[in-house]
Amino acid sequence: MTKRYLEIASYAVFIALVLLAPFLLDDPFWLNRIAKYLVFGMLGIAIALAWGYAGILNLGQGLFFGLGAYMLAMSLKLASPTSLQQGSDTPVPDFMLWNAEPGSKTDLCCINKASFLWIPFQEQWFGVVMGLVFPVVVAGVLGTIMFRKRIAGVFVSIITLALVLLVRLLVIDAQPITNGFNGLTDLGYFTVGGFEFDPYLPETYYLVAGFLVVVLVGTRLLIETRAGLILQAIRDDQNRARYLGFDVPRYQTFFFAVSAAIAGIAGMLYVIVAEFASPTFMDLTFSISMVVWAAVGGRASLLGACIGAILINTIEATVSETEAFVEAWKAIIGLIFVLVVLYMPYGLAGIASNLTDRLLQLFGNRRAPGKRAANAEVQQPAE
Amino acid sequence: MTAALTIDGLGVNFAGLKAVNCVSLVIDEGELRVLLGANGAGKTTLMDLISGKTKSTEGRVFLYEEDIINREEHQIVRAGVGRKFQIPSVFKDLSVRRNLEVASCRALSVISNLGFGFSQSERSRVDEVLEMTGLADEAETTAANLSHGQTQWLELGMLIVQNPKVLLLDEPTAGMTQAETHKTSQIINGLKGRHTILVVEHDMAFVREIAERITVMHLGQVLAEGSVSEIEQNPKVREAYLGSKGIA
Repeated sequence: MTKRYLEIASYAVFIALVLLAPFLLDDPFWLNRIAKYLVFGMLGIAIALAWGYAGILNLGQGLFFGLGAYMLAMSLKLASPTSLQQGSDTPVPDFMLWNAEPGSKTDLCCINKASFLWIPFQEQWFGVVMGLVFPVVVAGVLGTIMFRKRIAGVFVSIITLALVLLVRLLVIDAQPITNGFNGLTDLGYFTVGGFEFDPYLPETYYLVAGFLVVVLVGTRLLIETRAGLILQAIRDDQNRARYLGFDVPRYQTFFFAVSAAIAGIAGMLYVIVAEFASPTFMDLTFSISMVVWAAVGGRASLLGACIGAILINTIEATVSETEAFVEAWKAIIGLIFVLVVLYMPYGLAGIASNLTDRLLQLFGNRRAPGKRAANAEVQQPAE
Repeated sequence: MTAALTIDGLGVNFAGLKAVNCVSLVIDEGELRVLLGANGAGKTTLMDLISGKTKSTEGRVFLYEEDIINREEHQIVRAGVGRKFQIPSVFKDLSVRRNLEVASCRALSVISNLGFGFSQSERSRVDEVLEMTGLADEAETTAANLSHGQTQWLELGMLIVQNPKVLLLDEPTAGMTQAETHKTSQIINGLKGRHTILVVEHDMAFVREIAERITVMHLGQVLAEGSVSEIEQNPKVREAYLGSKGIA
């Protein structure tokens, strides 16, 4: 039990640090940066849930992040006072005007063939709801098809990887409604009840931090439920779980969709703090980076993966500002990943878990078998 | 006697190869039936057909009155057919207790399992089975760290927890030491009468310890059926499977 208390304590310390950061760090620029890294921390949680607990290595998590981001960015674009209109009564995003078909009416309904899709996004909350619903629906459909067909392991990775690249291409191609390569920039503030979430305000930081805490604790509780236990059983041996009467694809799809929902929320929060959405969110490198963060932090630990993401990004930001490291950084992170995979398969969280085991033994905790039983956080997943 | 499992003209055609060909078999409630046969006789395929792993091309399977042929695996399990695999399969990163808890979970859908913990009856069932399989001392051990024999018992335990009407056991003593085999036969004997059991087995010492009736399969068909001594005396069986020396 001691170890369980330590685990709860580590969550508590982490949450306290996240919530106290604005007091320790009186610099709006850095606060904004940290808020971005907290968003990446949520992505680490999403990956750990899918990879560590469900055994689904999604190499296209950026898809769900991107979908969430674009949905809210569309609403915020329409809320931007500076990027609209230009000689028209009805507000139209600037890039649509630049891409307009000659002679078309300057109105969302018909400035180009697909611009009407933007109409409902004039209501900010439509964007918010879509930012959650769209990734979940895509994950639900994709998961149902994949898992019903009993596709597993590396094939899931290949499919998700191909899909994120496909969608990225579509987004770039649909220039008239997505602004292609440039993405959606010059966005308005996310507004709740008249309050504008300026990305450099502490309130915005707390919006992100609050969501991170809810997602972290919520996901942790989710895997403590019976469904979470069954999910881990499915990860270890799908066939056995099926032969205990569980409808395996449903469990996999459910948790795949939860992971997508977290990524969607993260995408929306990122738009709020970074004030843009771009096809780079669906770049292969970004999706792979998320996996690296989770691997370094510990894919079998939600908190570990979250800390891994925040840590790597913070180090990256500091190191890459030193000129000598700008180019070398990518090599360094690659090297770290290789070393982690080779020598610490359960990442930082695995090391922490082993250390506490040793310390507990050292201090005469004589529950030797309990050592294995209590490692609820680092239940080593299937290779 | 009610028939617990009725197999009627069951067969499967793998692109021309009839791995199981028109097999009919009636197993009474509470009976323990041993399925014998040389490699390739179609024993495991027969189990695959019953449990839905392989879809049949002919024939039917009834669990009591219920037609369960070609349903999805998890539906067949829910109908009351439990299956143990030849290669022991357990959830190796979970503790022994956790393994059994997963098996004990009565609610099956995701939504109904979004709660915490297990009911009193589920937990006491787990404790009962821990005792029955002799794994009580290993309850908190991660399944990956169990010995081969213990892993087999754990998988057997997971089936017992579910209290299925029919148990299909595919070589439950494969790779076991003599002592382990003996213990397995005790566990299985303890289940006699409460469950209807179909066992595929090669180990004749073990078969003698548990068998009541034996069905011998050969080249996908039923060759003979009878008690241990009848089968030992049957000339057709001797010729096809046992060699002239009788049951070794």
